[in-house]
Amino acid sequence: MTDLAGVAASPGVGIGPAWRYVVEELELPEGPVPDPSAELEALRTAIAVVADDLQQRADAADGEVAEVLDAQAMMVADPELADAAASSVRDGALPAARAIVEAGEVYASALAESTNEYLAERATDVRDVCDRVARQLLGRAAPDLAELPSGSIVVAHDLAPVDTAGLDPTQVAGLVLEAGSRTSHAAILARAIGVPAVVAVTGVLDAVEDGQVLGIDGDEGTVHLGEAAVRDAGLRGRAEAAAAERDRLAVLAGDGPGATADGHRIELAANIGSVADLRTALAAGAQGVGLLRTEFEVLDQHEAPTEDEQYERLREAVDLLDGGKLVVRTFDLGADKPARFLPVEAEENPALGVRGIRLARAHPELLDAQLRAVRRAADHGPVAVMAPMVATLAEVRWFIARAEAAGLRDAGVELGVMIEVPAAVLTADAFAAELDFLSIGTNDLTQYLHAADRQNGALAALQDPFAPAVLRAVQQVCDAASAHDRWVGVCGEAAGDPAWALLAVGFGVTELSMGAASLLPVRAALASSTLERCQQLAARAVAAEDADRARAVASEALP
Amino acid sequence: MPERDLTFDNEVGLHARPAALFVKKAGEFDATITLHKAETEADARSLLAVLKLDVRRGDHVRVTAEGDDAEAALDALTELTGQL
Repeated sequence: MTDLAGVAASPGVGIGPAWRYVVEELELPEGPVPDPSAELEALRTAIAVVADDLQQRADAADGEVAEVLDAQAMMVADPELADAAASSVRDGALPAARAIVEAGEVYASALAESTNEYLAERATDVRDVCDRVARQLLGRAAPDLAELPSGSIVVAHDLAPVDTAGLDPTQVAGLVLEAGSRTSHAAILARAIGVPAVVAVTGVLDAVEDGQVLGIDGDEGTVHLGEAAVRDAGLRGRAEAAAAERDRLAVLAGDGPGATADGHRIELAANIGSVADLRTALAAGAQGVGLLRTEFEVLDQHEAPTEDEQYERLREAVDLLDGGKLVVRTFDLGADKPARFLPVEAEENPALGVRGIRLARAHPELLDAQLRAVRRAADHGPVAVMAPMVATLAEVRWFIARAEAAGLRDAGVELGVMIEVPAAVLTADAFAAELDFLSIGTNDLTQYLHAADRQNGALAALQDPFAPAVLRAVQQVCDAASAHDRWVGVCGEAAGDPAWALLAVGFGVTELSMGAASLLPVRAALASSTLERCQQLAARAVAAEDADRARAVASEALP
Repeated sequence: MPERDLTFDNEVGLHARPAALFVKKAGEFDATITLHKAETEADARSLLAVLKLDVRRGDHVRVTAEGDDAEAALDALTELTGQL
């Protein structure tokens, strides 16, 4: 069998040697040990080594992964656990590896019986850390993803957040999992870091040998074993074509800040949910961040993040950006995007419900903590902040008042709102008079302009950002902002479409924020057109009678 | 022996991050600190013991401390509980 089928989880073609991530079952020695005091010393050393390693990983991680690793580091260094294991070694002459696993099992089985979901999940953590100590003692360490040879395809049963915390995206050519689905943790991570992935590939670990050449097709969801199969599947050709296209665009795009052919500056920024996304975006040439989805990392937290925690995250992003601007969007939560720490009532129409700034008005303390964290982060680099789902001038004023109370104006933080509701488009002139910038969220704006649910596949044709209503809305917002000398950004998916980006620039948008993978094609398109050309295209496209004609107009100018 | 009654009004009680914060704080003192919930008790320096105690929102817990800095430890833990 040289071709295996699974589920496409992250697009693109990856070719490279297989690196199997297999954690073999441990066989625990029986004992008794001849020298319990030496065994005791070995136990203490192993606990210290594992605790130190976990703490280092926790410090290097962020969000939920950091929280899990931090708790694991505390568990392995737990005085009661260590005492229980030590007394079985001292009094029962048990080998240290068996002693720690058995001591851990006492806690794990007690936790596993809990009716509380959180405590029951912690049983896995206790077993995991004791297993690590035992492996350390027996010299049978599990493979470490941090030591992956460059350009490998990782083949595993599944990868937990803990496993992927040390993964360097630039070292991985692809990811194949026996388990998982499109929405499993590893699949989401693969898409975020732009690595092709295929999941749910039954039997792949047995079928593949370490070092064997693998080709994976993240668009079709197939895995090809061996050089001949990779070639037969046309993957070499596609990988070369993709590389050639990247090279061609890279030549067109050039270096330096984003700009049109005649030097009109356009800020090319990234949409990110975490610091890991930011690293990927910076490597892809992002100059700043146009949308930090602050809710992304905290959805699974049981407690609202504190001001300090939020500040630490923002500070890390500001430092990485090194002078580039960070646009922070305050929590965009609601019934369609519920956070564990903020249970909300189910709603008949969550997309039209209590979300974004509407939810913030019900919980102002959450917004205030966020704004204070932004204020502190602004001491270290340029930061702007914007509120989602704003519909009225009263909401704009409420947001400005909270921001001013937190000292944001005095700290030089630019204030803005997302334009994603038709009411905001129609009153953008009034908003612009009191704010520093407006940021258009094209996904929601398109859905609300057409009254068509984004999640409903039958209405996909109404989600077209080239539609006349969307283009007119963008034009109207740009004109309103320009009358007050304010800047306009776009942070919806349309910003990453090179043809649409040319139109946006023609209307007067000066910041385009997108996923990392879109930065190169958009930069190349801008570098190939003058501002005047963009303006001509925009004037023709906005007059087109439907989306297809507008797209055709914009595509004329693509390099 | 000094003791206090604590009530955990925060969302998740002594689980997750609050448990970790509580245990770390207890570890800053020399005193032997014990949590008592109904008939069971837990060493406040052991995350596993504290988790096993399963303190949930609204639960009352008696905390005892023995040692030179017992009072200071109880003050600090009471203050922390109010901030969880």
